[in-house]
Amino acid sequence: MLTQRLANIAFTVLVIIACGYFAVVAQGFEAAGLLASSGLPSRFFPQLLLGFTALCATVVLYVYATKGEAGDEGQTVFASSAEARRGLLALAAAVVSYIAWQNFGYIVMAATSGPLLCLAMGVRNPVVYGVVLALAAGVYLVFTQLLGTQF
Amino acid sequence: MFDVAAVGVAFANLLDPFTMIMLVAGILLGLVIGILPGLGPPIAIALALPFTFYMEAVPSLILLLAIYNAAIYGGSISAIAVGIPGTGAAIATVMDGHAMYKQGRGGEALGLSLTGSIIGGLVSVVCLTFIAPVLAQVAIKFGPREFLAISIFGLVVVVRVAGANLFKGLLVGGLGIFLTTWGLDELNGAERYTFGTYHLYEGIPLVPFLVGIFAVSEVLIGAEKALTRIEFDKTSLTVKIPGLRTLSKLKGNLARSSLLGTIIGIIPGEGAAVGAFFAYSEEKRRSKEPEKFGTGIPEGIVAPETANNATVGGALVPTLTLGVPGSPAAAVLLGAFLIQGLAPGPTLFDERPDIMYSLFLGLFFINILLLFIGLFAIRFAAMLIKVPMTVIVPTVLLLSFTGIYAVSNSLFNVGVLLAAGVLGYVVRKLGYSIAPLSIGFVLGPILENSLRQSITIADGSTAEFFNTPIGLGIYAALALTILWAPISTWMRSRGAGKAEDP
Repeated sequence: MLTQRLANIAFTVLVIIACGYFAVVAQGFEAAGLLASSGLPSRFFPQLLLGFTALCATVVLYVYATKGEAGDEGQTVFASSAEARRGLLALAAAVVSYIAWQNFGYIVMAATSGPLLCLAMGVRNPVVYGVVLALAAGVYLVFTQLLGTQF
Repeated sequence: MFDVAAVGVAFANLLDPFTMIMLVAGILLGLVIGILPGLGPPIAIALALPFTFYMEAVPSLILLLAIYNAAIYGGSISAIAVGIPGTGAAIATVMDGHAMYKQGRGGEALGLSLTGSIIGGLVSVVCLTFIAPVLAQVAIKFGPREFLAISIFGLVVVVRVAGANLFKGLLVGGLGIFLTTWGLDELNGAERYTFGTYHLYEGIPLVPFLVGIFAVSEVLIGAEKALTRIEFDKTSLTVKIPGLRTLSKLKGNLARSSLLGTIIGIIPGEGAAVGAFFAYSEEKRRSKEPEKFGTGIPEGIVAPETANNATVGGALVPTLTLGVPGSPAAAVLLGAFLIQGLAPGPTLFDERPDIMYSLFLGLFFINILLLFIGLFAIRFAAMLIKVPMTVIVPTVLLLSFTGIYAVSNSLFNVGVLLAAGVLGYVVRKLGYSIAPLSIGFVLGPILENSLRQSITIADGSTAEFFNTPIGLGIYAALALTILWAPISTWMRSRGAGKAEDP
């Protein structure tokens, strides 16, 4: 299983790289017209924060790389492979639902997101699928009929 | 001190039938969501936010405050009945509450938690009513340097209480603030991280970000444990309100926990959960029989339950007077104010005192009604504990998607919700707290504007930058907060060393 140590090392390295990228992007910020000379440059605050965040990430990286833990010794990111599968499949189902909404509209998303998430969670009971679909219909009716939302 | 005309208008606002319906609906909804494990007050408020878009300010804010209050109390029901806290605020209640339930005294435990919650809530409302207007009067004189000091104080305190590792908290806090720099620079119009899309001109929207961080990340975590079955015995679910003799025995505990909860609520931080733990350990420390804590004694339920509800009024003090949220739930509540076109801060007391007093009176009514609704609804509401996560997870995700779209009519905002949810999920899985991330995101604009203005005012002079007595007082309080734990540990170890010396 993925350990907290390995996951945190990878995360902090990504954060440091991202901070570097965004700091470079900030160099190109240009103020508009007459306001250009007013006060501190626009890049000041983002770059200050990126430096601070990168520093914190470096400390966390150092702690995990040298001590091997930061109050979470021996812990893994997921308790079991089944939990990891359910969590990651649920994440994928949420993303697929969003893409379905973009391409096929709200009703398709509302009708498929529930069953997709149930599949991701490994639900076998058809009653759960029925209840989830009924609740989705309820949500649709509340928003369209009661609140007047147009999808 | 009080604007009598505004108080009159506030009464009229509250007695409006629609507002009363929202008040009752909020309590019921808060109870339901609080009971469901994992769905705490921030998620409850976040899910209800889209509905408030269609309402006037007073009924919408009353609805959310009722949800906030009732959700904190609702968490104790599942903590007592099944030993699974419905909210983080109820974790301390599990120890004695569930032990009492297993002894067949569930009704007594539920009665104690309900009574403690009501008393804690009422005391904090009284404190809020008297402290908030005074603080607003002081805060109206605050300039950028004072707001900078308050924002730094709020953020550092949140980071300190949010997790075991200080740098992990600072990292996500910094990330939260950084994300607020996206969009047009308010001071000079520069485009920052807009990536060529007009959607980002106004920056990352607050409400979708907060709903994503809290609700969507919780949905994904809930999906992992979706197949865990919850079994519980419903035989001792009839609430037994404690008698006067019991209350008299617990009066010191009730008073201390109410005040502790209110004070901890005022200090920006984790709010209810920290308040509950603090009160529990304080009562255990004062007790002549500390070994009995955890075995199912009334003191162990009353302390955390009184304190966690007392944090509600406390958390609203900085939220309403300074625009600095006292807890993650208050941060989401801040979004509700913005939806209504209201900017919480000292000027709101001058501009809309009627709304402020409506909220104070509303909180008072909410606590009173929670007693009656709690008495009758607990038995039925507790059945919700059995609703499986496999039903909750898809429904909450669909509600979040639909609600955010309904508020803005923008699929881009739904994308922000999803992205924030994924970010929240990743950082939670890696052992980071999302409290600094969310509070950082709320405080970011205040922090940037006040820092840039302070530097401009100081004109390169460090002495001028710190030439603010109030600000220095806040920095001193911050230093004391950070140094208090190591100093007290050092003093204790010195004392123990002297005692051991012959």
